[in-house]
Order: sequence, then structure tokens, then C-alpha cells
Amino acid sequence: MPITLEQSEDISVLRLEGAIDIASAAELKKLFIQAFASGHDVRVEMDGATDLDVTAVQLLWAARREAKVSGVEFALTGEVPEAVTSALRQAGFTKLAATMDGSLVSGVASCHQ
Amino acid sequence: MDQFKNSFQEEAREILVELESALLALNETPGDMELVGRVFRALHTIKGSGAMFGFDELAAFTHKLENAFDEVRNGRLTITPELIDLTLAAMDQIRAMLEEGNGAPAADAEACAQILAKVKQLVGIASGQQTDETDATHPDPQAARSGQEREWHIRFSPGPEMMRNGASPLLLLRELGQLGGLAVKASMEAVPPLGEIDPERCYVSWEMVLATAADQDAIRDVFIFVEDTCELTIEPASTPVENAAQASRATQSASTDAVDVAAKALEEKRTSTGGRRTYDKPDNATSLRVPAVKLDQYVDLVGELVTVQAHLSELATRHDDPEVTAVSEEIERLTSLLRDNSMNIRMLPIRGTFEKFRRLVHDLARELDKDVELTIEGAETELDKTVVDQLSEPLMHLIRNSMDHGIESAAVRAERGKRPAAEIHLSARHEGGSVLIAVADDGGGIDKEAVLSRAIERGLITAGAHLSESEIFGLLFQPGFSTAKQVTDISGRGVGMDVVRKSIENLRGTVDVTSKPGDGTTVTLRLPLTLAIIDGLLVSVADAYFVLPVGSVLECIELTRQDIERANGKHLVDVRGELIPYIRLREQFNIHAQLPEIEQIMIVETGTGRYGFVVDQVLGDHQTVIKNLGRFYRHVQEVSGATILGNGRVALILDVERLAKDAVRAGTQAMQGHLAADALKPRGQKKKFATQSVV
Repeated sequence: MPITLEQSEDISVLRLEGAIDIASAAELKKLFIQAFASGHDVRVEMDGATDLDVTAVQLLWAARREAKVSGVEFALTGEVPEAVTSALRQAGFTKLAATMDGSLVSGVASCHQ
Repeated sequence: MDQFKNSFQEEAREILVELESALLALNETPGDMELVGRVFRALHTIKGSGAMFGFDELAAFTHKLENAFDEVRNGRLTITPELIDLTLAAMDQIRAMLEEGNGAPAADAEACAQILAKVKQLVGIASGQQTDETDATHPDPQAARSGQEREWHIRFSPGPEMMRNGASPLLLLRELGQLGGLAVKASMEAVPPLGEIDPERCYVSWEMVLATAADQDAIRDVFIFVEDTCELTIEPASTPVENAAQASRATQSASTDAVDVAAKALEEKRTSTGGRRTYDKPDNATSLRVPAVKLDQYVDLVGELVTVQAHLSELATRHDDPEVTAVSEEIERLTSLLRDNSMNIRMLPIRGTFEKFRRLVHDLARELDKDVELTIEGAETELDKTVVDQLSEPLMHLIRNSMDHGIESAAVRAERGKRPAAEIHLSARHEGGSVLIAVADDGGGIDKEAVLSRAIERGLITAGAHLSESEIFGLLFQPGFSTAKQVTDISGRGVGMDVVRKSIENLRGTVDVTSKPGDGTTVTLRLPLTLAIIDGLLVSVADAYFVLPVGSVLECIELTRQDIERANGKHLVDVRGELIPYIRLREQFNIHAQLPEIEQIMIVETGTGRYGFVVDQVLGDHQTVIKNLGRFYRHVQEVSGATILGNGRVALILDVERLAKDAVRAGTQAMQGHLAADALKPRGQKKKFATQSVV
């Protein structure tokens, strides 16, 4: 499974592995909804992600907005390959790419805005 | 992803067909720039979408060809027969790469390299300089900038189906980036809340400024594969807005507002120019691509419905309740409409099959050093998909035969005062419930004497036998028969015509040959419109049911005990002075039951003359949905299929041609063995059909 969800008492952690694309989009959406349903903070661990496509970016965007609406903390963590961030930058997703940039991800980079 | 790959492969196959016909047309009119454009676009699409779906080798190879045609487009290279032949050869390699993994032979890496080397040479000679050293799959944007660079505003919003079709917007943007300096702003405005998001749809749209020397067509070409499923505007930046670098910096800190403003500005512009493409044009949904398997299932289900409906009609008749009868009749009407409709869906124009032969004729003409034109008529004629699929091979054999044996060499043609360019005419037309497909050539015609002497040589006929013209031509279809003095690579091994007849008979069709010495030969194939349902005549022998194709039944006469006695045990009946042999289905299928006082003979027209089939009772017309007998009964030749009757019983569909032929053969053998009396008696091995088991 490229995506797993671990739910503990105060946080839901989604772990992304490999290519997160249209093939896993439905699964990602389901797990995000599940994560938010618990009312806990949500953390997305991007360490293992090797590729993100538009569907993944949209879901991350919508999840961030969902977090804002429901007042929970939403964070992306982990280092993603430079190729992924540069592809995102090239496609105009500069903010997302900046969030995931190596310099920002030493700890927990919140993209709460 | 596999499904996307499949749909790409399907799409690419179609594009290859289009490419082939464009190339061949280009061979005729080398100066036609529209055709050059078609070739270029086809190559470009295959390259672009191939890369998108992971066919990297294919994309890299195609790209290099595309470059050559780009040179042609720019007037730096002219179309030569050599370039066409190279591209055709390259196309075969592309096809092999495409089918890799489908069990097809893999592309020949060495041949590919040779083709590319030759193409490179051609391009090199034309431009009079070294071809560029950069890796062609990743063209240096600088190289494209030789012309005047300008800025373009591009707005791109993928439609709802674009991602589902397997296209990736990010890859398109990357490709666009290769044309020059690109500044991109992604707008997330349309992304709905998490709960409402359709995870497989792209909601993001992009505003871009591209600084490039490439023209509008080149930019549009990047989107060629997705043009129908996205909204795309490409406009020259009329006022020198921000330059690409500025735009790029602006995006780093872009607020959504900035995108909004730009979007609105562009929106206004777009409405004023009206030149945009939308993905929701109604005509985009007028046709669907459906896998043939689904279609077969649909037709199967309709077949089941027809069967159940027949059962219902029977019940309604038995119960004689006006209300039930009314419902039953209504269902009968609807079922019949549905049946016609489902048959109609399976109908395909024969164009694709016909067009394929342009290439064959082109290649063979070159190989044989003959000048041959292929003309096509009635390509829009529709036939059942199964028939169309199985027509390619027999038609190919016929065309090969015409090209090799029929059409004379240029010298002989000149001698005979014929046009130097020979003609092969492929035509299709409807005639009643059949479709006639003809392959005609204006060659030397069939040498009847040669056919006869060859037949005598092979012991097929005795010397001095008098044969009618059609009987002589019929000899051509005997296995292993060939009058060719030389066996060439193309034909002459004498397997072709035999194969042709077999495949056409498998389609329940017939083959007819006409030929005039010196004027040419025409082979006409008569094929049924559909294979799934036939109009049958339902008959019974004791408790077994059989169906005969109604089209072949001429008449039905009674056979009384006296008739049988009068014939002295011979299976012959006198019909208005003509003696017609008959086959008793009772004996053929080993049915032991009491003989009725009066039997019925169905007189049937077969390829081997008129034949009678003796049955107990003729039950009437029957809309017969043909079911295969399954693998277990595949060795049974006398029966072409089975059908389920309204009462749930199974009726076997008789292959009358086969039965008659077997009877003739059995008769001849018996005569030779001085066993004339046993002539038409059933042969050694009997097949008893337990009708219930054939489902």
C-alpha cells in the first residue's frame, strides 16, 4: 500500500510511499476524510514519496483547507526528493514546493496559513 | 495505469493507420503540405502520448522521425520516395514497439538504428550541414530559438475526463517548458472542499507566459493529445507585460489575487476573440469507444432475451389470455427492435480493412517492379465486426495473387497495348441480405488451359473431361493448386486460394471468380451481413430439432413411402423431371424412431448442386440466435452451431454445404469401390447428439 494511516490518541499520521498519483487518489481522499473525522491534528509524512501528481496536490490542498475550517493542525513532514519539488515548482505549485523544500522540513513544517 | 496504456495503444494503432495512408498519399503528391502536416501531427502525437504512458523507447525513436518531417514542414527537406519508404519501415518498428508484451515480435533494434541513421543522413544532406549533436529527445530550447522570440499567453484548464484518460498535465507543462522560458501560475480556485473532491479529476488550471521562437502551431502541438478534453487558449502577448523572468519571480510570491486578476484579464480577452476550445462541446460525446468484448456480451444477452421471448410467446399462445398475449406481443416487438439495434451496433465500415491494403499494394509493387494503382469503392459499406475482422487475410491473399500472377510485367503490358499503370479495384456493396466484396485486376486473366492441364497433372480431373467455366475456376480453390511456373515469395505456393475459400466458407460466404483472357480477373466474395443471427427454417426428426439457413432452402416437397420404393433404395428423388440426391437426417444422425408415413424433403441449393434433406416435419420460420457448440464439439463439421428454442430445447444448425460435400465424396468413394448401392448411406462414424447436452 503506498498510503497508510495511523491514528493515535491525539494525532492522525498519513504516510505516503512511492508514486502518489491518480491510481492512489481515491485511497488518499478516503484516508484524509478518515483522518479528519477523528478531529485530531493531521500529519502527512512525505519521506517515501517519489512522485506527486496533480491529484495528490489537489488533495493536499483541500486537506489543508479542511484543517483550517475544522481548526486542527495540518503539517507536511519529511524530506522529498528534489525532483519532486522541482516538478511541483515547474507546474506552478510554488508554495507547496517551498513547504516541502529541504530547508523547511527538518522539523515539522506547518503550512497552516 | 494499464487501462490507460491500453487506450493509448488503441489510439496509437489508429494513428498509425492514419499515418500510413498519409504517407502513401504523400508518395503520390509529394508537394502536398497538408499531408506533410498530417504525417507530422501523427508522429508528434505518438511521440507525446507514448512518452506520457511510459513507452520511452517508442517516443525517442518517433521523435527523431518527427524531426525529419519538421524539416520538411519548414521547407528544408523535400519528400523523396526514399524518405517515405524509410518512414514506412520505421512505422513497422513503431508498431512492434507498441505491441511489445502482447506476444508480438519485438522491434528490431538494429533495423531501428539503421533507419535513424539513414533519416539523419537525408536530413544532413538536405540542410548541408552536420545534424545537431544534441540528444534529440530533449531538444535544447536554444536550438528552437533561432527565429524571433516572442511571448505567448497560455491558459490551460484540463476537463473532467482528461486525467482519467491517462493524460498528465504536469508532463504537458514540462514539454511546454522545453519550447522556451516558461512562467507558470497554478490556480487552485476550483478545487472543491475535501469531501466533495472527485479524486481523479484535475481542478487546477494554469496561466502561463511562454517566451519562445516556436510558432502557435508548435505550442498547440504540445496539447494535441488532450485538445478535446481541455480548455486551451494560446494568444500572443499583445502588450509586453512582465517578461518571463519577472513572471517567474512573481509566482514565487503570487497571491491568489494576482492570479485572479490575470485570469480575469484573460477571460475578457478570450470572450472578445472567441477563439477558445472547450472540452464540453456537445459533439465530443457523439461516439464512444467500447471494448469489443462488452459488445459481444451485449449481443449475447440480446440473444438470450430473444430466446426467452420466444418461450414467452409460446406460453402466451398456450394460455390464450388476451392480457398476457398483449404483453407478450409488445415484448416481441421490443425484442425485435433491440435485436436489430444490437446487430447494427456491431456493424463496421470496411474502410479500415480496405485502406490497409494501400500499403500492401505499394510494397508489393515495388518488390515486383510493377506499377499498380489501388482504387477503392464502397468503403463505407458496413459489415458485422466478426466478418470484417476475418476478411483481412483472404483479401490479402487475393490481392497478392492479382499482383503476382494477374498483373503482367511492364514490358508485357506495353506489348499488349495496355496502360502502363495496372489497376486493382477493391469494392464493396450491398445486395439483398449479403455484402459483395470484389477484388478486380486488369491483368492477363486466368489461363483456362493452364488450369486444366495442371488439374490433369495433379489428378484432379481426367483428361478430356468437359468442365464449365465456373468449374474450371473452382479448381483454383483446390488445396495446393497453383498454375504459377515459379514460386515467388509473394504467392504461387498454392496455399492462398484454398485458404481464401475456407475462411470465406467459415463466414458462411461464397467465392465467385470471373475472368476474361487479357482483360483481367474479378474475385467476388458474397458474405452475410451478420453472423450472430440468421433466418432459419426449423425442422424436426423424431424429437430432435434442426435449423437450416432459410436463404439456401429452395422448396419443400413430400417424400412418401412409394417414392422411396420407386427409387429402388437409391437416395434420389424426381423433382419435376430432375433427379435430386437426398440425405436423410435420420440416418445421418443415427436417430432411431418410428418413421412417419410422409416425410418432407427440403431442397437446398449448395455449392455442389441441389440437395435434399429429409426430415419428419417442417415447423416453420425461426429467428435463430447462433450459439457456438463449444470446444468439446469442435470436431463436428456437419453442424455450424446450435440455438435454443422457445421451449428450452436445443436445435442444431446444419451446415448444408458441408453435408452435401461429404455426401458427394462418400458417393464418389463408394462408386470407385464398386459399392454404388451404398453410395449415399451414412458413413462409418455416427454422431448421436443428445440435444440436452449441447448448451
